[in-house]
Amino acid sequence: MSEKSTTTNLAVRKGSQKDGPAAVMLEMCSVRVGQTLFGLPISHILEIVGNTRPQAVPLAPDFVGGLVHYRGDVLTTVSLRQLLGMPLQADLGSQRGKEGHHDILVLESSGGCFGLLVDSVGEVLTVSSADHEPNPSTLDARRSALFAGAFKLKEGLLVMLDPERLDPMRLGASAA
Amino acid sequence: MDELTREFLIESQEGLDRMERCLTDLEERPQDKELLGEIFRSVHTIKGTTGFLGFTRLEKLAHAGENLLGMLRDGRLSANESIITGLLQLMDALRGVLRVIESHEKEGEGTAEEAQADADLIGRLHELQHPSAVPVTVEAAVAAGGAVESPAPASLAHPAPSAKTPAIPDSDTAPAPAKAAVSVPESAKAPAEPGEGKAKGPAASDSTLRVDVILLNRMMNLVGELVLTRNQILQATATDPNFTMLARRLDMVTADLRESVMRARMQPVSNVFSKFPRIVRDLSQMLERKVRLVMEGQETELDKSLLEAIKDPLTHAVRNSLDHGIEKPAVRIAAGKDPEGTLKLRAYQESSHVVIEVSDDGAGIGVERVRAKAIENGLITAERAALLAERELLQLIFLPGFSTAAAVTNVSGRGVGMDVVKTNVEKIGGKVEIESRPGKGTTLRLRIPLTLAIIPALIVRSLDQSFALPQGALSELVHIPPERLSSSIEWMEGTPLYRLRGQLLPLIFLDRMLSPARKASGLQLTSGAPAEHEGLPERDHFIAVLDADGRRFGLVVDGLADPEEIVVKPLSTVLKSIGLYSGATVLGSGDLALILDPGSIATHAGVVMSKSEEVAEVAEVVDAMASRFLLVEAAERRAAVPLGDVLRIERIPLSRVEYIGYRPVLNFEGHLLPIEDSAGVLTAVAGNPDAQITVVVCREGNRHVGIAVSHVLDVAAGNDLFEAGSQHSASGITLLNDHVTGIVDLASIQPLPGVEQNSEWNSVQETVA
Repeated sequence: MSEKSTTTNLAVRKGSQKDGPAAVMLEMCSVRVGQTLFGLPISHILEIVGNTRPQAVPLAPDFVGGLVHYRGDVLTTVSLRQLLGMPLQADLGSQRGKEGHHDILVLESSGGCFGLLVDSVGEVLTVSSADHEPNPSTLDARRSALFAGAFKLKEGLLVMLDPERLDPMRLGASAA
Repeated sequence: MDELTREFLIESQEGLDRMERCLTDLEERPQDKELLGEIFRSVHTIKGTTGFLGFTRLEKLAHAGENLLGMLRDGRLSANESIITGLLQLMDALRGVLRVIESHEKEGEGTAEEAQADADLIGRLHELQHPSAVPVTVEAAVAAGGAVESPAPASLAHPAPSAKTPAIPDSDTAPAPAKAAVSVPESAKAPAEPGEGKAKGPAASDSTLRVDVILLNRMMNLVGELVLTRNQILQATATDPNFTMLARRLDMVTADLRESVMRARMQPVSNVFSKFPRIVRDLSQMLERKVRLVMEGQETELDKSLLEAIKDPLTHAVRNSLDHGIEKPAVRIAAGKDPEGTLKLRAYQESSHVVIEVSDDGAGIGVERVRAKAIENGLITAERAALLAERELLQLIFLPGFSTAAAVTNVSGRGVGMDVVKTNVEKIGGKVEIESRPGKGTTLRLRIPLTLAIIPALIVRSLDQSFALPQGALSELVHIPPERLSSSIEWMEGTPLYRLRGQLLPLIFLDRMLSPARKASGLQLTSGAPAEHEGLPERDHFIAVLDADGRRFGLVVDGLADPEEIVVKPLSTVLKSIGLYSGATVLGSGDLALILDPGSIATHAGVVMSKSEEVAEVAEVVDAMASRFLLVEAAERRAAVPLGDVLRIERIPLSRVEYIGYRPVLNFEGHLLPIEDSAGVLTAVAGNPDAQITVVVCREGNRHVGIAVSHVLDVAAGNDLFEAGSQHSASGITLLNDHVTGIVDLASIQPLPGVEQNSEWNSVQETVA
């Protein structure tokens, strides 16, 4: 399992890559944080746990959204809002009725499983690799470290997230 | 690696383990046919399979051993020390090759040295088959270790097993022809033998199964999950009578299942103990000691991962005992002791711990030498050392870099050892204790938790969150009501302290430590001192008095919940690196709780093992020696209840007390509990239905009784009272906190009607049994 998941690799994993620039269709789970639509390759998603309240961990690094109980294990979660420097939901006065509840994507990376806290999970979108573009050079450093380019959809941009780069172990190492 | 090879490796390792055990036993019972048969089978199985898999190096070695063993088994040779040494060397060689196969998947050509070593060994094994050549030459050859063999050049020249039989007449001088004639049919007969042997074997192996540890871990996880789901179902169905029975059944099955899975992970300590006969044997030869190894409680079971973890510490401890503990025979005779020393390995279960003792009847630890060495190695200043008591000095040997060995030997004395033992054992949540009497011997006690996965913990509340505090480190709890807050907690320039039975106990406020904002201000404590005190909210506080490796401190929390058996879940590296949490757990309520690590909290807050605390610790032990009592007040009279008998203290509404005739009883966890109320606590509040009473639940014989009291005051050590002049100790009273206090006589509490016959019946049963 040494998938270095850049988008080119994602295409390869779909297995149907033809010669030349022929477009490959990819399946992405769309999630929303703030106003932005993000996409994650469904192959990396183990499960979506809805409406959960993570247990806070005092003194943990900021990006840690807390702990959740997932199938007998305790998962560390990463708060995408925190990572992007957005105000936390609790501070916004809870848009979703219950305070501190989130949707959590359980992701698998080379370092193990972890949870990703997002505002809401949308549908699975099928996108074409032909519509992919790398991060723009003007993107700030924090974001370009997390994003893996974007897909141009009719409705707008689908910003790609790379599960490997969201791994708390890696985030912890780069924060230190 | 293919399935066949892997299977072969596991089987061979097991065979060799068995062989090792048998070989050391063989030394004591050289004529034991069963032992010989067992050893022969192990080697033979290896030989048979290696030929099939094409591992020729192994085959050659095994073959040479098999011939020797065949002669032993048929009684044509009797096992002596040199033969056993030879066989042990063969075993090591076989292990070595197996290791190579394991890592490289083939046995490799072997370097010239290895080939030479093999040939030497094979030659030596040949030698051993000929008693005539034995006493002098073989002894010498063995002593020379891997050195070139002089007495048998011919066998060296033909190391291949095929060349073996013809080689013997060449090398052998005296009884050659007869021997050769015998050994040919012997090797022909050998293959038939294991068939007979196996007929006995399968009984045990058919009923057991090898299971991957990963699978067991997964099962453990799932069972933990099931326990949680069960808890939630129990809560959800509590009100619905239709589900109650089903839920109960689920409850029981889950509990049983959990128990079984945990048992599946348990292994007898004999798995670790079994390698010690060999180690002791080799070391005692090397160190010229005479040592008898006694092992007790080998059937005691321990979680597999823990067993792995104590392997090294135990080996260190055994080496230390042999090197520093047990003296040389001459010294022992001079001291009037049996020239043969005794090293005792003992394992037994004690509540939720397994205790492993390594004790020797050697010289003990010279306290003065410890003191001198510690100063010499710069581990402690001379002034400080002069102040230390004997018991504290003994603790110094656990410091890294400590060694009293005059010379660094092969065995020990490099100054790694005891500190490794201590750190390794503490890593798995255990404790190390040492006891030593000069001239009499030393006992090292390793206290290991039964399982890593499930530990008893007290759930505490702080920052509106639950945290789990392992009970192992918890020594007592102190409740500070809001009105006593300012008087109980004293401040020394911003540092909170509590007077616990006259000793100052440093306090750590969990909420302050865990909120980063406060932590920042805590760094400049001097300026913020007065504010800290005023900042305390007017509510109940609880102090959990913790003892983390001898560092005592009080952890202040906002609330206490029930103790729970928690399933420890590992944390991700990011959270582990915070350093305060040792894991997380899922509580019965479904909430997650972080498990606090008392040792790290102490380190984080800078609690050190200061001298006064060490003394306090010693005082504590002395304290524990005297009988301790729970001091209660019942209707303005003070009384003492022996602490050892107290099970729980319950605060209940008066309405829960019911009456059988005039006897007050309590329905306590589904059982009827007689309540003793000779002091009239119940009658005093009888008019007030909202009143709360306190019931001390005690154990008396094999029943439980409750005592109604107004308040629980304290826990104190009682001193016996002696009648002036006669020096008779008074019964039924004790001296508590300088007051003469009556001890509640639990046995005099009358049993409930009807219970008596029952208990008589029980006792009759016991006598019959």
